[in-house]
Amino acid sequence: MFDPRTKLGISTIAAAGIVISDPLWMVGGAWLGLLLLLTGLGHLQSYARWLLLVLPMTLFFGLVTAWSVDPGAGILAGSKLLTLTTVFFVFFASTLPEDLGNALVKAGMPYTVAFTMSTALQFVPVIGRKARDILDAQRARGIPVEAGWAALKHYPAFLVPLLLQSFQLAESLAEAMEARGFGRPGRSFLTEYRLGARDWAALGVSAAALAALVSVKYGLFASASGKFSSFFP
Amino acid sequence: MKGRKPFIQIQGLRYAYRKDGPWILDGIDLNVPAGESLLVAGASGSGKSTLARAVNGLIPHFYGGRFEGDVIIGGISTRQGSVADLFDQVGMVFQNPEAQLFNRSVFREIAFGLESLGLPRREIRRRIHEIAEEMEIVHLLDRSPHSLSGGEQQMVCLSAIAALRPRMIVLDEPFANLDSDNAMRFRRTLTHLRRAGMGVLVCEHRLGHAADDAGRMVILDRGRKIMDGPPAEVMGPGIDAYGLETAPPGGWVQAYEIETPAFRAAPAKASPLMTIEKVSFRRDGRTVLDDVSFSVHPGECVAIVGPNGAGKTTLLKHFNGLLRPSSGRVLLEGRNIRKEKVSRLARHVGMAFQNPTGQFFKLSVWDEITVAARAMNRYDPAWIDELVRLFRLETLTSRPPYRLSDGEKKRVAFAAALSARPDLLVLDEPTSGQDRSFKEALGGFLTALQARGQTVVLVTHDLDFAARYACRWLVLKDGRITTAGTPRRVCRPLGDGVPDSAGIRQRAGGHV
Repeated sequence: MFDPRTKLGISTIAAAGIVISDPLWMVGGAWLGLLLLLTGLGHLQSYARWLLLVLPMTLFFGLVTAWSVDPGAGILAGSKLLTLTTVFFVFFASTLPEDLGNALVKAGMPYTVAFTMSTALQFVPVIGRKARDILDAQRARGIPVEAGWAALKHYPAFLVPLLLQSFQLAESLAEAMEARGFGRPGRSFLTEYRLGARDWAALGVSAAALAALVSVKYGLFASASGKFSSFFP
Repeated sequence: MKGRKPFIQIQGLRYAYRKDGPWILDGIDLNVPAGESLLVAGASGSGKSTLARAVNGLIPHFYGGRFEGDVIIGGISTRQGSVADLFDQVGMVFQNPEAQLFNRSVFREIAFGLESLGLPRREIRRRIHEIAEEMEIVHLLDRSPHSLSGGEQQMVCLSAIAALRPRMIVLDEPFANLDSDNAMRFRRTLTHLRRAGMGVLVCEHRLGHAADDAGRMVILDRGRKIMDGPPAEVMGPGIDAYGLETAPPGGWVQAYEIETPAFRAAPAKASPLMTIEKVSFRRDGRTVLDDVSFSVHPGECVAIVGPNGAGKTTLLKHFNGLLRPSSGRVLLEGRNIRKEKVSRLARHVGMAFQNPTGQFFKLSVWDEITVAARAMNRYDPAWIDELVRLFRLETLTSRPPYRLSDGEKKRVAFAAALSARPDLLVLDEPTSGQDRSFKEALGGFLTALQARGQTVVLVTHDLDFAARYACRWLVLKDGRITTAGTPRRVCRPLGDGVPDSAGIRQRAGGHV
């Protein structure tokens, strides 16, 4: 729908907005808005799975803040962290790594750097599959790497093959990429990335919303909300 | 070949991967005219993969090492031209398809090289659609390469290179992981490219698939060129000495029917060691195994055979609980194993997977073989000594396992799988990617194990091997056992091939 650079810009603006947002209802509102967006994009299920991983970290962060400041600050800090990470979940869920990489090349990043980054993201599931195969192979040999304390004792049985296989895969991929002209000067790009009127409009609206938020926060209600704003400098 | 100007000129090529290492290629002279169809044959370690990498400049640019002599491609010496300068002249398809696919979709995979050439967008799209139609992979264009079968991945790798329209395509062991149907399809595609004027250089040791299509054949042995000429002349009686796999004339089915498999049949009344009872397995809404039932008796060697994607590996993962059936039961000596931990079941079922690199983590072969036995409190030095002798690992015990050759790694994995004296040994595609001498050695190991009363299940698409060493076959196709019985019985109704209903057709080379 939008150029990847637009999406990155909007996400960054949204992140800044969340950092300076308070009271809590604003952050909660933003999170609900993101939830609606995820429903629209059809990523609610994968978000729920991802939430299970992120919630403990959010809780921990909130508790530490609550302990060091006060409970209100803890709830606000935890909610902000959750909403912030959700912004970038939406970004990555709606942007292909390769589109992001190519758009960054267009924005001036060297191709080799952008490609390495997007390929690394692409290979996360491949490495995940290899990790599962290694666990299967070791369990099949009788090495107890099933979840539990015994697995800790046998961690090299998992880590060493995973590292070795990752290096081998990296070398084979590098060879295959060389053989298809990676790094040859004069590369063309199949997908055209162009910032259209819609992109500029979206960026403009987002920037205006942030400006409004800043002026509201630091103008009209600055004295009332100053109490909580210091957790995200 | 005479009268045509050579496209590839190799003069006095010697190469070693390490500065102080042995020569892997030792004085190769070879001229290849444009458009030639050349087969470079040789056993594992003969230097054929190294030669393939020298032809497109990966050697010396990517690998470094010690390089003497000259390789000239279309007038450019590989010493001067980089890989990127040569990739549109000589396209390279590597052996392992999974490790050369690095894009999100098949469409992007083919586009990558065309983008490297700097072609305009319209031309890139035109070439992608053209090659996809030629290779019959239009339906795969939007799929992720990593979700495809091995055969499909191989076609995508070839398409990504062929779309660049190089003057020559080099393929390193293209038939290593293909079943017979996929191999035949792949051969037809290569024929098509040859007719379009592209040169094809295939490095293989499975001559059944490669020799018929080649116009010229070179045999490498320990880095030296031993023979060079038309396949009909080169494939003489002495060729067996070079560890090559030649299909017997007329196919292997008749050839083995008169032989007796090395393993004896199970005693008829023995109670089964392993029983698979009405097992079905569903994944992502797809039925992978459908109502599979059979038993394995003590002391017998059973082969589960069938084409790629039939569900063979899924089935074997039920033997030790790595996968649990969606319905049905798996019984070990009459006991349902549903609730038992995989690492506990390993005492009874030893398993060696196709790629052993995924399990090695110790610094020496000895430790690698013994680690599982120790973890299960079943370490018996005398037995490990016996395994080391059986699998001829005496000289390798102190070496790091991941530095061994593929064949040696497999031998270590077999020994490791047996280290806790399991009742049942399961080998997943044990001959995959291996040459004839390895297969003969493995056959010897299996015969020796059989003499000790070891029960073995082989999962393979190598029918020739299965015919020689298994007393019973279970033919698996689309997740169902379609035929079962002695190899002779399974194949008897065939005449000149196993019927399609069994999921197998007779092919030269003995692969399903």
